Amino acid sequence: MAWYQFSWLILFGPLFAFVAIIFGTRMWDLATRPREEAEATPADAAHAHDEAEGETQLIVTHGPHGEEVVLEDDEDPKVPRLTMGARASGYLGIVVVALACIYSWILLLNTSGVINIAPPLDPRGLTVFSYDWLNQGTASYSIAFHIDNLAIAMTVVVTTVSLLVQFYSQGYMENSAGYARFFSYLSLFTFSMLDIVFAQNFLVIFVGWELVGLSSYLLIGFWINKRAKPAEDRPAPATAAIQAFITNRIGDVGFIIGIMILFAQTGTFDFGTLADKANPHGVVQAFVNSGNTGLLTAAMILVFCGAIGKSAQLPLTVWLPTAMEGPTPVSALIHAATMVAAGVYMVARTYPLFAAAGPEALGVVGWVGGITALYAALTALTQTDFKRVLAFSTISQLGYMFVGLGVARGTEFGVGPGMYHLFTHAFFKALLFLGAGSVIHSLHHAMHAEVQDMRKMGGLAKYMPITAITWLVATLSISGFPFFAGFYSKDNIIALAFDQQDYGLYIITLGTAGLTAFYMLRAYILAFGGKGGGFGGLWGGPYRGEGEPHESPRTITIPLVLLAIASIIAGYWTGFFNYVQPINPSAPNLNLGEVFTNPLTWVGVLVSLVGLGWAYVLYTRFELATIHNVVENNALLRFLHRLTLRKFYIDDLYDLLIRYVVLGISHIEAAFDAYVVDGIVNGVAQAVTGLGRSVRHVETGKVQAYMVGFFGGLAVLAIVVFALVTFVK
Amino acid sequence: MLTLNHFLVLGALLFCIGLYGALAKRNAIAVLMGIEVMLNAVNVTMVGFSFFNTVKPYSTYLTGQIFAIFIITVAAAEAAVALAMIISIYRKRSTVDVGEINLMKW
Repeated sequence: MAWYQFSWLILFGPLFAFVAIIFGTRMWDLATRPREEAEATPADAAHAHDEAEGETQLIVTHGPHGEEVVLEDDEDPKVPRLTMGARASGYLGIVVVALACIYSWILLLNTSGVINIAPPLDPRGLTVFSYDWLNQGTASYSIAFHIDNLAIAMTVVVTTVSLLVQFYSQGYMENSAGYARFFSYLSLFTFSMLDIVFAQNFLVIFVGWELVGLSSYLLIGFWINKRAKPAEDRPAPATAAIQAFITNRIGDVGFIIGIMILFAQTGTFDFGTLADKANPHGVVQAFVNSGNTGLLTAAMILVFCGAIGKSAQLPLTVWLPTAMEGPTPVSALIHAATMVAAGVYMVARTYPLFAAAGPEALGVVGWVGGITALYAALTALTQTDFKRVLAFSTISQLGYMFVGLGVARGTEFGVGPGMYHLFTHAFFKALLFLGAGSVIHSLHHAMHAEVQDMRKMGGLAKYMPITAITWLVATLSISGFPFFAGFYSKDNIIALAFDQQDYGLYIITLGTAGLTAFYMLRAYILAFGGKGGGFGGLWGGPYRGEGEPHESPRTITIPLVLLAIASIIAGYWTGFFNYVQPINPSAPNLNLGEVFTNPLTWVGVLVSLVGLGWAYVLYTRFELATIHNVVENNALLRFLHRLTLRKFYIDDLYDLLIRYVVLGISHIEAAFDAYVVDGIVNGVAQAVTGLGRSVRHVETGKVQAYMVGFFGGLAVLAIVVFALVTFVK
Repeated sequence: MLTLNHFLVLGALLFCIGLYGALAKRNAIAVLMGIEVMLNAVNVTMVGFSFFNTVKPYSTYLTGQIFAIFIITVAAAEAAVALAMIISIYRKRSTVDVGEINLMKW
């Protein structure tokens, strides 16, 4: 029991690390920084700003090895070497999250029966931390954390990915001046996500929800000095951070309203109480008593709005591609384990409520996921930015997870399929991002600029073999190539859609699987292979950039190798479906024999192979320029290319919406404020002033006039009193 | 036979005469005299009430007479202060016409 009881240490460890870094080692770092560096850099920067107003601004800083390098102003000032304080910040963050990771792995191994150091966990979970925040009448608001198998599985994902990302950041951020700050934010991010994972009620999950929003804001906008690059269609990180924050807020409006409806009907925030059918406060009972299950359906769809914002589903997808402006390890953390996974996890956590609501609720979940998956896959086909392809693939895969949750109607399959895909996706998506970061890091050293355009890459497998091979593993995994993790989890969702007679969603997810295979292999070949490379173009080829890229340091490659292993073996945890829902032991597990004999599986594999093969033929047999010419000379292809490259004009649609509708309403409201509200206030003031100006002539200054007034008034009063006394009985 | 009504009528008449003087006279001294007459009209009424009072506890304490003595004292002080002010105004502005002493207007 003690092993479970103390699991709140996993949660508060990263919070402790955040505080300790911000107030401890970061102060140490700031105090011990070389003096001339601290004084010279801001002054130089300010000077450069003054001189080159509006021009391409160049800042002279010290390069990674102390030499003078003219950098485009795209990052924070560089430091020649990190201070002890900065290094200590990194080590502190890594050690804390490593301990949390080990602890959560012990819990996972124990609850899944591999080792046996503690008795089995209660299927309903265990409250590990509870504090009464506020008691008001019969309602009580408590900060309560609990663990069950679902939370433990998620904790393992979060802490493992977080650990690898922090380890990796040591190499990736080695020359960044904000090194200590970066690690404190990563710890805060981990804490925020764990808060959502451990939450026992809607109140706590909402706090975590907002903390995740805050920490993603801080991290996406980490390079505050970096400017927008309109030529590459890339906004400034600060803008991207604001966009992410505001877009999430829009989803949160629905989330809050949904929570409030549930609370108003049942008087409780607690997940366990809400889902308990026997409890008179339980959500099912409360809504049955009031004869209003339609309201429950509406509430759950509103709660799902929060997940739409956090997991970047349609129509709130816009923030995720621009969030790529943050440092790459942050993208890996956001896309694999935290932030976007929060939406899926929240739906899984409240799944009994979704199941209790009308079928429309899970129908909305499934269809939003399906359409988003298709949309994002289509958009990813033509993107040229290395990280942006991955951003759209994340959106697409999250769509799959929602399809998995949506089509598993009722409790028979439960959250198994969706959460399984989240579990495997975390590993290969983290791998894809960290590999992309490895490429960007290497090219930064080769070209002294941040290059993310795949048209300037190519043939990198020769230079960076470890990155290339691990990236290929992740590509095959996400494409659903047999025997890789993504194959099991994704085909499971596609087959489930067919089994549940959701043929529309089946067709969509199947087609999306083919598109996924195409765009992922396309990205791989554009970056690492090319025409004339080894293995028929898969290994090496013409390099389209400048300089000489090198393999990244070991702090970067070790996480890649570990994640590559996880991207294969994560698919072989066949007991996952039973594990995440111990309360429902009848849930069918993944049966490998059945998977390989089911014809549906082979249909899925065939579609994936078609996508892979098409990409292989197209990008290893033809030069990029040739393909470009063909597309430009065909009206239909050009139109489709533009359409997908511009993300189906959804950004432009938002632009128009905000520019004309939102700002239009704002102007009307500003006019209302200026003329009506201010008019009333100023009008009252002017009326009082005017009245005073006109009646002040009563004050003649003559004492006898005052006396006439006084005695006249007295006489009138006397007459009134006399009349009242005489005539009114 | 002298009754309370005689005192009240006398007091009312005196008060009206005093009020007329205070309101209508231009000379500040005359206004002051009108005020004195009004005060004494009140005194007459007080004394009359006191004399004809039949309610035991109050009649024994001579409340009305004591009031009258207080009013006379205050009137004396008021007359002294007011005359001093009038003399001061006269020195400054060479007039005691209350119609012209109107500095404190809008």
